[in-house]
Amino acid sequence: MDQAVRELSYAQAIQEAMAIAMETDERVFLMGEDIGVYGGAFQVTGDLVERFGADRVIDTPISELGGAGVAVGAAVTGLRPIFEFQFSDFATLAMEQIVNQAAKMRYMLGGAVSVPVVMRFPAGSGTGAAAQHSQSLEAWLGHVPGLKVIQPATPYDAKGMLLAAVADPDPVMIFEHKLLYKTKGPVPEGYYTVPIGKAAIRREGRDLTIVATSIMVHKALEAAKTLEAEGIDVEVVDLRTIRPMDKETVIESVKKTSRLLCVYEGVKTLGVGAEVSAMIAESEAFDFLDAPIVRLGGAETPIPYNPDLEKATVPQVPDILAAARSLAMGGR
Amino acid sequence: MPVEVILPKVDMDMATGRISRWYVGEGATVKKGDLLFEIETDKAAMEIDAPASGTIRDISGKEGIDIPVGEAVAWIYAEGEATKPAKDAVADATPVQEVVPAAAAPVAAAPAALPELAPANPGKPSNGTRATPLARRLAAAAGLQLDAIAGSGPRGRVMRSDVETAIAAPAPAASVPAKPAPIVSRPSASSQPRPAPQRSAGAAPLNFAWLRQGEGRPIVLIHGFGADLNSWRPMLAAGPVDAPLLALDLPGHGGSPRQTPADLDAIACDVEATLAALDVGPALLVGHSFGGAVAATVAARGHADVRALALIAPAGLGPEINGAFLQGFVRAKSEASLTPWLRLLVADEAVLSKPFVNATLAQAADAELRAAQAEISDRFFADGTQTFDIRGLLAALRMPVRVIVGANDRIIPASQSLGLPGEVALHVFAATGHMPQVERREQVLKILLEMVRV
Amino acid sequence: MTVAQAKPKDLPVGANLPFIYREYSAERLKQALHKMYLIRQFEEGAEESYMRGLIHGTMHLSIGQEASAMGICMPLTNDDQITSTHRGHGHCIAKGAEVSRMFAEFFGKTTGYCGGLGGSMHIADVSTGNLGANGIVGGGIPIAVGAALTAKRLKSDRVVISFFGDGANNEGAFHEALNMASLWKLPVIFVCENNGYGMSTSMARSTAVPNVADRAAAYSMPGVIVDGNVLSDVAEASHEAVRRARAGEGPTLIESKTYRYRGHSKSDRNRYRTKEEIEDWMTNRDPIVRYENELMEFGIIDKAGVEAIREAVAKEIADGIEFAKASPSPEIRDLERYVYTETV
Repeated sequence: MDQAVRELSYAQAIQEAMAIAMETDERVFLMGEDIGVYGGAFQVTGDLVERFGADRVIDTPISELGGAGVAVGAAVTGLRPIFEFQFSDFATLAMEQIVNQAAKMRYMLGGAVSVPVVMRFPAGSGTGAAAQHSQSLEAWLGHVPGLKVIQPATPYDAKGMLLAAVADPDPVMIFEHKLLYKTKGPVPEGYYTVPIGKAAIRREGRDLTIVATSIMVHKALEAAKTLEAEGIDVEVVDLRTIRPMDKETVIESVKKTSRLLCVYEGVKTLGVGAEVSAMIAESEAFDFLDAPIVRLGGAETPIPYNPDLEKATVPQVPDILAAARSLAMGGR
Repeated sequence: MPVEVILPKVDMDMATGRISRWYVGEGATVKKGDLLFEIETDKAAMEIDAPASGTIRDISGKEGIDIPVGEAVAWIYAEGEATKPAKDAVADATPVQEVVPAAAAPVAAAPAALPELAPANPGKPSNGTRATPLARRLAAAAGLQLDAIAGSGPRGRVMRSDVETAIAAPAPAASVPAKPAPIVSRPSASSQPRPAPQRSAGAAPLNFAWLRQGEGRPIVLIHGFGADLNSWRPMLAAGPVDAPLLALDLPGHGGSPRQTPADLDAIACDVEATLAALDVGPALLVGHSFGGAVAATVAARGHADVRALALIAPAGLGPEINGAFLQGFVRAKSEASLTPWLRLLVADEAVLSKPFVNATLAQAADAELRAAQAEISDRFFADGTQTFDIRGLLAALRMPVRVIVGANDRIIPASQSLGLPGEVALHVFAATGHMPQVERREQVLKILLEMVRV
Repeated sequence: MTVAQAKPKDLPVGANLPFIYREYSAERLKQALHKMYLIRQFEEGAEESYMRGLIHGTMHLSIGQEASAMGICMPLTNDDQITSTHRGHGHCIAKGAEVSRMFAEFFGKTTGYCGGLGGSMHIADVSTGNLGANGIVGGGIPIAVGAALTAKRLKSDRVVISFFGDGANNEGAFHEALNMASLWKLPVIFVCENNGYGMSTSMARSTAVPNVADRAAAYSMPGVIVDGNVLSDVAEASHEAVRRARAGEGPTLIESKTYRYRGHSKSDRNRYRTKEEIEDWMTNRDPIVRYENELMEFGIIDKAGVEAIREAVAKEIADGIEFAKASPSPEIRDLERYVYTETV
């Protein structure tokens, strides 16, 4: 049966996924701060509380650590919680439960339990919210074995990957860039999943591979259009999952193009692009590199308030263009 | 007061430029008008002359980086003029000069073990060639030495395109003079069926390389004037070759001794000694251009066991040769001066990519090599005339002989191949210049393999 | 007074016996003594094995706290769940685990409850409802609340116990979890085993209220203080809390005041307590001695019966250690086996 495809916003796609998950599985419920009548800080849960009731769309106190722990405990004992952090920055308050408990319980107990919790993290800069509400901390969690960490870039993926996350027996952390919430794209009706751990080639090209995450996928695609007119044929890989990383797709792409540019919003040092770069350097693709690997990541600063400064802290399209052009010439 | 040397604007819309190559080093004495460096722009390579006479110092304009137009890149000091304090001098100019004598000592002590420590020029790092992983892999697969390939990438890095060009190039750069260890056994894999004949390798007067190992009758390749044994590699990339392939460097070329042979017989003598030293038995002998004349001479002398002869755009069939090309080619020291001559070699300029030009330039940088070749040119092609004739030799040969030429050869006219004895087969390729083995590599290789399989 | 051969239920109405003697059969009461000995001898066996180098890492022994663990677990069914602490061996045994598989876990063997991946600090037996000890102070408290949320949503009649120490009462997780549990009236019981010290820091030096149970008022739930070394008192408090929880009346905070004889961990140099203080607890307030004397006093068991229990336990411990010694170690190749549920 063909599913009708509509244009939905990224936020609508997530909301639809959560609604489908709750309709099809009694065990699924939502927890978070102000996700009920308020509809969530970014209106992602919207009016779900009216459809599913306050028992399944639970407003928590402002207790990130306790809330995350409750979600972990519920997951271990048979429910399928979807826990929303109001801002990904607040995950720092809940690191204990995410890192020490959710990620490790299965392992510590020798496989006796699984922790099928889903946590959602509105992330990223560009909203003028400054240093404590604009971070991209996905690499923090990507560093923890036992977690799965995903960054859907399109409404289609946001829905399909969330449904995959709910079905996944292990803890899945979803980093959603706040500037993506209003972006639109085709989303089929009904249930479908997009696999976790599989990157997507958004654009095929011969000359250069850009591995990008989240909103940077769109910036990379925009840059690729300009570069095409200059005769530089860019392949854009949307990493989608940072743990477990789809090494194969990235390796094959780099083997084809011989040049790698990593673009990500998180702080450049020790970030996702650092991992991709190191992975390629260690892989069979090394012998296919025809230029040094280049990373474009966030500045080594907190996110500033001033809009011009804020923009300057994360890679923008002109930065990608400059880096790609330089790489096409052989790099530094 | 020292004279400032700036990076000049040489192109419209030019805000910055890159020095692609310095021709003089720190402390060199220059005369006003001498070539100092070359600027690379999108459209052309421009040579920049010295604005004054004196000693060049404080070179700050590094190769391969963007420099704003008008910025000082060096200073020329008059004789006796005080130089600036040392700390103002460019930091990395000094260490380079120190490295050379330091490296020279071990070379003198153990030349065979440490040949690569002798830098080809002082500007190049002595600790290995800068190359991308892909370039390294491709070069290794093709049996090419990385340091023989000029890098077109940033800071001279050898990239894929450079290696591909080197594989496809008529004369990719043997910039390091007289390699003591020929690449005899380089086609590394021990699984190769035929081990390289090493038993008397030391007695071979000419530099050589087994470009392919294999079973059966070997093919012996002799390159043309100004090239070297690497010039055969692009042809080998055209298809599988199962026959053993031996390539030689002519005297005064590649890694062979820098001497000027008296005549074709003297060269033939060296070829025969090399084949004997390598224990090469019955063989197909192939020569290109000037090498064709050498091959015909070897075949006619009968000392080597030549069973068949293939001559590609051979010299020695008529008097005219493009003398301007020969002179220009030997003199050219920069990209700007070399490229126009290289274009004459081929019908399709696409073969002449920038890396190829750089590869040839690297050879041009070897003054001793080019000096030897200038002498050879003067002796064998005096006044733009081929001073020797192989027609008589061909008529006497009792073996299969094929001549392969390009219809659009601008070095030696294709018409010279007419009027040969009826037993000599003639292949003429349309839209092809002086290098059919490059421009029509598949077909030429097929012809040679047919000949060796008979 | 002698009630030899009499079942507690047969006692005259109004008999003024402690709670458990009115609630449980003699058999269950003797089982409780057996388990308290099992906990004590397990800890001693673990300590001995540790000193022999059979156990690596560190351990937190609960010798002296046996009545607390046992009393809380007495009203629980196999389906009820607990989350435990770094000092969790006693909870694990009281909830029903086998000592042989616990030793095997401490020895890092595949037959251990966690396949040798968790060790002492993560000892668990999910089959008997133990969701695990925890290396993070307060780490298990919100998880217990989550488990209780599951119980409520699935209407399973299950209750969840969250054991923690006095040190955890100053963690944010404690307060956040108690608040949510009370807010949502979840079937969870918070059991603070107050042994007087968070590592070296006493309650007086760390906590602004004299009793942890005083915190309950802030979260609108009953706060109950019991002598943690008196089995019946602990069990009685647990009973009432479990009843409340199952009835949907919400959580209870029980503070079980007790004492650990050993140091905080195996690396404790004991500089914060006096010998006299330790001696006093061991001599005058030992929970096993007190319970054993009661049982004999009430005629439920005699000296020979106690001796038989001790011998049976000693054999069980010795067999358990032998089982653990003889068990295989995990293969290095299985290192990543349980990181994810499905291999990725």
